[in-house]
Amino acid sequence: MPLLNSVYRQREAGKPLVTLDDYRAAGGYQALPKVLAEMDPDDLQYEFMRSGLRGRGGAGFPMGKKASFLPKDSQRPKYVVCNADESEPGTFKDREIMEFNPFQLLEGITLAGYAIGAVRGYIYIRGEYEHQARVLDRAVAEARAAGLLGTGLFKSTFDFDITVYRGAGAYICGEETALLESLEGKRGQPRLKPPFPAVAGLYHSPTLINNVETLAALPPIVEKGADWYAGLGTEKSPGTKIFCVSGHVMRPGNYEIVLGETTLRELIFVHAGGLRPGRRVKAVWVGGSSVPPLGEQHLDTPLDYEALAAAGTMLGSGGCIVMDDSGSVVRTTLRLVTFYRHESCGKCSPCREGTSWMEKLLQRIVDGQAGPDDLEMLKALFGRISGRTLCPLAEGAVGPVRTALELFPDDWADALENGVPVPEPMLPVSS
Amino acid sequence: MTADQIREYLEPRRHEFADPRSLVLPALKFAQTGRGYLTREDMEAVAEATGYSASYVESVATFYDRVYTEPVGTRVVSVCVSMSCQLRGADQVWEALCDKEGVDHHHGGTSADGRITVQEAQCLGYCDRAACIQVDAEETQGPHTPDSARALVDELRAAPDPDEYWR
Amino acid sequence: MADYARVDLDAENQVTFELNGRQVSAPAGTMLVDACYAHGVEVPIFCYEPRIGPPVGACRMCLVEVEGMRGLQTACSTPVRPDMVVRTDSPAAKDGQEGVLEILLMNHPLDCPVCDKGGECPLQDRSFKFGGGKSRFFEGKRHFPKPLELSSRIALDQERCISCFRCVRFSQEVAQDGQLTMQERGVQSQITTFSGDAYEDRFTGNIIDVCPVGALTSIPYRFVARPWDITNTPSVCGLCPVGCNTELTLRDGDVKRVTGRPDPNYEVEEGWLCDVGRWGFDGDGGITRLTRAIVRDANGERHTDLTDAVAAATVALRGASKPVGVLLGATATVEEAAIALELAGGALAGARVARLGIPAAPLAALRATPRAQLDEIERADLVAVVGGDPGLAQPITELRMRKAVLRNGARLVTIGSRPGTLADVATHVHAAPGALTAAVAELAAQIGATGRPVVLWDEAELAAEPAAAEALAEAVSANGATRQIELGADVNGAGLRALGIPATGLLEALEAGELGALLTVRADPRSAPGRVAWEAALEGDVPVVALATHADRTTDAATVVIPVQSLLEQEGTLVSMTGRAQRVRRGAEGPAGAAPGWEVLIALGHHLGAPPAYRTASAALAAAGGRYAGIEGLTYDAMGVGGVELPRPAADHLAADAGPARAAGSDGLALVATRDVYGGREASRAPALAAFHAPAAATVSPATAAALDVTDADTVTLTSPYGAASLPVRIVDGLSDDAVFVTLGTADAAAEALMPPDRGPVRVGVSVEARR
Ligand SMILES: Cc1cc2nc3c(=O)[nH]c(=O)nc-3n(C[C@H](O)[C@H](O)[C@H](O)COP(=O)(O)O)c2cc1C
Ligand code: SF4
Ligand code: SF4
Ligand code: FES
Ligand code: FES
Repeated sequence: MPLLNSVYRQREAGKPLVTLDDYRAAGGYQALPKVLAEMDPDDLQYEFMRSGLRGRGGAGFPMGKKASFLPKDSQRPKYVVCNADESEPGTFKDREIMEFNPFQLLEGITLAGYAIGAVRGYIYIRGEYEHQARVLDRAVAEARAAGLLGTGLFKSTFDFDITVYRGAGAYICGEETALLESLEGKRGQPRLKPPFPAVAGLYHSPTLINNVETLAALPPIVEKGADWYAGLGTEKSPGTKIFCVSGHVMRPGNYEIVLGETTLRELIFVHAGGLRPGRRVKAVWVGGSSVPPLGEQHLDTPLDYEALAAAGTMLGSGGCIVMDDSGSVVRTTLRLVTFYRHESCGKCSPCREGTSWMEKLLQRIVDGQAGPDDLEMLKALFGRISGRTLCPLAEGAVGPVRTALELFPDDWADALENGVPVPEPMLPVSS
Repeated sequence: MTADQIREYLEPRRHEFADPRSLVLPALKFAQTGRGYLTREDMEAVAEATGYSASYVESVATFYDRVYTEPVGTRVVSVCVSMSCQLRGADQVWEALCDKEGVDHHHGGTSADGRITVQEAQCLGYCDRAACIQVDAEETQGPHTPDSARALVDELRAAPDPDEYWR
Repeated sequence: MADYARVDLDAENQVTFELNGRQVSAPAGTMLVDACYAHGVEVPIFCYEPRIGPPVGACRMCLVEVEGMRGLQTACSTPVRPDMVVRTDSPAAKDGQEGVLEILLMNHPLDCPVCDKGGECPLQDRSFKFGGGKSRFFEGKRHFPKPLELSSRIALDQERCISCFRCVRFSQEVAQDGQLTMQERGVQSQITTFSGDAYEDRFTGNIIDVCPVGALTSIPYRFVARPWDITNTPSVCGLCPVGCNTELTLRDGDVKRVTGRPDPNYEVEEGWLCDVGRWGFDGDGGITRLTRAIVRDANGERHTDLTDAVAAATVALRGASKPVGVLLGATATVEEAAIALELAGGALAGARVARLGIPAAPLAALRATPRAQLDEIERADLVAVVGGDPGLAQPITELRMRKAVLRNGARLVTIGSRPGTLADVATHVHAAPGALTAAVAELAAQIGATGRPVVLWDEAELAAEPAAAEALAEAVSANGATRQIELGADVNGAGLRALGIPATGLLEALEAGELGALLTVRADPRSAPGRVAWEAALEGDVPVVALATHADRTTDAATVVIPVQSLLEQEGTLVSMTGRAQRVRRGAEGPAGAAPGWEVLIALGHHLGAPPAYRTASAALAAAGGRYAGIEGLTYDAMGVGGVELPRPAADHLAADAGPARAAGSDGLALVATRDVYGGREASRAPALAAFHAPAAATVSPATAAALDVTDADTVTLTSPYGAASLPVRIVDGLSDDAVFVTLGTADAAAEALMPPDRGPVRVGVSVEARR
């Protein structure tokens, strides 16, 4: 069923748009020629700014504002980098866009490139998305053959091309400076900031980095106007956002909603089909595994940046992991910490050592071999890590554990007493 | 993989990067398609083709989960064990495959016949198909149960070897 | 302290800010840690090491509070800003520092009692100073196999590593050898080489000095001493003319270790040492060391004590019917040379004094042009190397040049017959031996076009091409901003020249039968360039008194051999190739049968009836400082720990010090001789440097090998007008064709046999001797 107010055309069309013809038929590649013919880059940047579009990679930083940070007088070439590393547990929205609507992303990147005067765009895609990377490769080749990438686009003086660059399995490469390091052929370890990528990014050049979902939103914004986009959602959280719902729900999947209009309860129970009969929501990590969980009491929180922040969590990447009351949050928390321990790049000490100790402590708790001192030690560890690392990865490991301790004291008390048995999983639901 | 083969692969891509260092990762991934993992000689060939030291090349290679500097089986089966998949039975799938292939339950490993490597993966971005499994770098599949996972490795074992190993 | 960068509190553009309630200032751009240190506030650090490169922010040790900034800031990467308010000792900052220490100790084995770094370990020190007592996280530490041999000289204990990346960054960005890297990820990260191969290169030892924990230790120093039974003394390396400042670790009257200075000399070595400087001391007391005096007379040879030997020397010298010759070797100290000159003016009146070295006249004009210390290389936009292979002959200069290129974007040009060790970062302009003049003319044009050029020039190669030297002198002085640095051939050549001692005259006088005896001070003319001529001249019955540390060809044939202390054992002054007078200090006690060279010379003065007016090395130097313009006013006090730069010699200094005018001839191949510190006698004596030991060779380009019809399985005989030598062939890319490259200073002194005493130019004929 075609979606009302959908920004992403594969959803609007209700089918994959993997050929250029499909994308064109769905209204694609109308924004780009219009912009090249009618707008100068500053106007386009202003349009982005006015739309209020916020970064969908996690931090929610206004996209147009970020574009405006690139120095105008730099002698160096400028670049757009599309962050397609999508590795945050619970997140799979970029995958859908790239696989089913690659051209909208290409058009978006090209628009961003024009707005900042870039010479090339790079899509840094996680290595595990080889399938999607091939879709993108084909789309790039098709766009190039059609003159939509290359020199003198639409007879303008604008030259622009896009390179698809594959990662090789490292979550940290989603962090923007680590991504740049990786794209430069190095170990993907975050850089000190400043300088920020806008000033000295890829190859020390001014670089605009945005998430797939962010960049793919640009063509409709240009076509339908910034006002249209800004009119969706709330004042501070305009537009739509794709939430990826997974875990203990009957219909896991991606759901695009207008920000501020839908509550968490509606997302889980209306869109994602609710839980198994007889089960209640225990914990929800709304914005990917890096955000503090919410409990049943938070289900009526509207899904937008501000309301979620007020509820004590973050919108993050929109990877909404739902857990029902069939198991203990302690085990899930251990799994989450294992992830950060595994993905810590090892550059800075608090994260490298701290995540590993958190995992050891949690494992002991899960194994039923911990005492109350261990919980205290765990809490002490938070303070040793939080606010002291080079990049926010470690924060993503600490926040959820801290909140899980606060929200679910019974689970922890029980775990200290008895350990945590492996719960019966929710088996595949045939749909 | 020889340095010349790697050079030939990199050549058309060279102009896309202002610094040739960017070619190191593509070179590693390509060099790996020969055997499915990198030998010392492969890394030396990458070093030669890209102009960076072998130690540097190895330091990049070992940073990434999907670049293998130790031998792996003909097919690499990555079982997602992250949160969403865990909630939908990943642990059971993992145990089932480790048992079936006779590999270490903690770290995974390669079956005695060298055909199948079972390894843990972090969230593969297919949480909507949890519990999910990726074979080599093919599209991730799911939802899996212990039974379907066992059937999957049986199929893999019966299938002919791939020509190229994209991991 | 090397850990923190120097801060010039008198520079312009000072920024004023508040530090722990005090108003202080530092130049704009200074990192907070450095500014704090300059004002007496130590902010603990581990990964920061400004000599290695810009901050990386990895260890998070340097957390401080900056008002208005959210959370704690890393002081190593936060530049000072006007009016910022900084607290390094507030509860929040202290909690941050304590916290990071606790974190770092989580996986640290805490085996300080058995750790070689124990007692001098920054991690240990900072834990006491900034830590909050014991770590609460204690069990189940990470384990790695321990310890590994990273190379034959360096042990690696991965469990102790705190992943500060200093060693890795040294290897990648300072030495740029590419060999040491961090591998794996996260808590499994570990430093290692490619597939665990040995980390063999020329500057590897520096990683031991920069490691802030006991993860990297010196194998020769393992379990040799503990911090409480050692003393450290600052000294200077006497193995090449760069004069790197060192620190000697002493125990039981012996040098147990040589390290970079904790407080580096930024104008010289910047705290780095080459591996020969670091481990070469190992061979100082080896089997060829002279431990007893020797007297040879009609009754044969006898070993004796110093008193007897000095008496015998007196007899030999006084008995001469003709004037005496005094020959000073490259490592003779300024004091020894000055006393020798004084003897020549009194007790041995009429003596002729010379040094083993390169005549000064062809280079006088060039030496008079504006000179720089090595730190100037960092400020240059164009660095040009004319001749030589500095990475082998003056090793530490290589690191400065690499730094100039990598960190400051300078252009590096090497001009000469081989690209040498800088090939990967330099543009090489090929100039065949004898063809430097044209290349220098080209360089002159480039110098004119840039802002701050620094030219490094090879003493030996420019002396062999006086026209090129003159052209270079002109090019350097043409542009007021250009500075030159001499790549000297001899350790204390500059010091001996400063006293006005020529390289010529003595051999000629000996050959003419004008001398009645020869006194050598740390000189082995029978192994020096022109050794065939020296041997011939010494053939007759000229008695030789040799003051030497090690047995060599000269002591083997001398009438009296007096063992002297080495530069690790006695006081002395050396003048570096950039004109810095620096002190070597007494570290080891040395063999009981040896005395300081200066003391032996004073004793000779006494015996010869004309005692000098001083009894100590320092007084000898002070007296010389009052007498010779080249070292005017020089005293130990004036030198301090970092040395002083002497005035540049005038353009007519030693203008008469010239060898016979001589063309190389056009037959055969040009001979290019390089002093290779790594392949030299000192290195070959040191067991710790076994990895460098390689046989001397006749090295040629592939084209030359083809033209000669030789392979690297052949041995060839080289014949020059001065002598012959047979050497195995080695083939190396990138070398001048029609030339043969040989190494000076090897144990067999093969190259020296082919050369004239003034070292060049020479051409050699090549014949194939044997096929292996
Ligand atoms: C550990 C870590 C992982 C991240 N992973 C991703 C990612 O996979 N995809 C993404 O778009 N942004 C990711 N981010 C956020 C990026 O650093 C960056 O903020 C984002 O790409 C900017 O794009 P946006 O403004 O469009 O959101 C990550 C950040 C951190 C700290
Ligand atoms: S916080 Fe973790 S991932 Fe980020 S730089 Fe530090 S070690 Fe690397
Ligand atoms: S070995 Fe030493 S210098 Fe190297 S990273 Fe470890 S602690 Fe730092
Ligand atoms: S948690 Fe398994 S694919 Fe996301
Ligand atoms: S010294 Fe500042 S982060 Fe390491």
